[in-house]
Amino acid sequence: MKKSLLDILRDPLDKAELDLEVDERDGDEIVEGRLIGTETGEVYPIEDGIPNLLPPDMRDE
Amino acid sequence: MERIYEVYDRIADHFAATRATPWPEVTSFLANRGPVACAVDVGCGNGRHSELLAERAGQVVGVDASGELLVVARADAVEAGYGGIFAPIRGDAGTLPLADAVADLGLYVATLHHLRPRARRRGSLDEFARVLGPDGLGLVSVWSVTHDRFDAAEGFDTIVPWTLPDGEQVPRFYHIYDPAEFSADISASACRAIDRFESSGNCYAVVRGA
Repeated sequence: MKKSLLDILRDPLDKAELDLEVDERDGDEIVEGRLIGTETGEVYPIEDGIPNLLPPDMRDE
Repeated sequence: MERIYEVYDRIADHFAATRATPWPEVTSFLANRGPVACAVDVGCGNGRHSELLAERAGQVVGVDASGELLVVARADAVEAGYGGIFAPIRGDAGTLPLADAVADLGLYVATLHHLRPRARRRGSLDEFARVLGPDGLGLVSVWSVTHDRFDAAEGFDTIVPWTLPDGEQVPRFYHIYDPAEFSADISASACRAIDRFESSGNCYAVVRGA
């Protein structure tokens, strides 16, 4: 995902904004990292460039 | 039974290979629309409608609960030359991970019928309306009892298996809508219906958001 996507992505739980932590980039693409709910503190992984913003009760891990 | 996205993760490659062509109803809905800044495809699956959106939007956000289908959708977008504007997002149609009023144009096609129970389906229509905002325009479709394969007048819950090439059947949950019930769910939600129609065994609503 691109960092600019942060403008439109929200925490599915409360629609608050998300903070971004990057582990790996490829140009302007964020390949691995996480999005963190600014209010809930919930951590949503970015897996192979795709943010997983399923609510926690729908995630498999 | 598996979650619906687990089913689509399992059948993703075979599903995508047989679901490449856009629906004519979607093609006509999108004709003469745009250009717009942002289009959202809720339940984008393997992206069968994403290219149509990419032709008229500066950015296409594809939301699906199945990560495997999103991987296919992204690869197809790259191959078709719109990978740079296609953003795959893993998310739940029942609680969209998107800001209010981000979508000028939206599709919520052949997805609502996978959610249960009814309260969650209605809630997902509120979510679609929220993401469209008051000025956004969207198309919603569900499978209908009017389809040839069903013999019922009223909406019902059922299991429709997907058959893999090796013959294995993977069960998928559907709520098959009757047209009056679909109208009632649209009306009860924040979506404002502009037009409703039936075509090829599906119920459609053209809506504004809220």
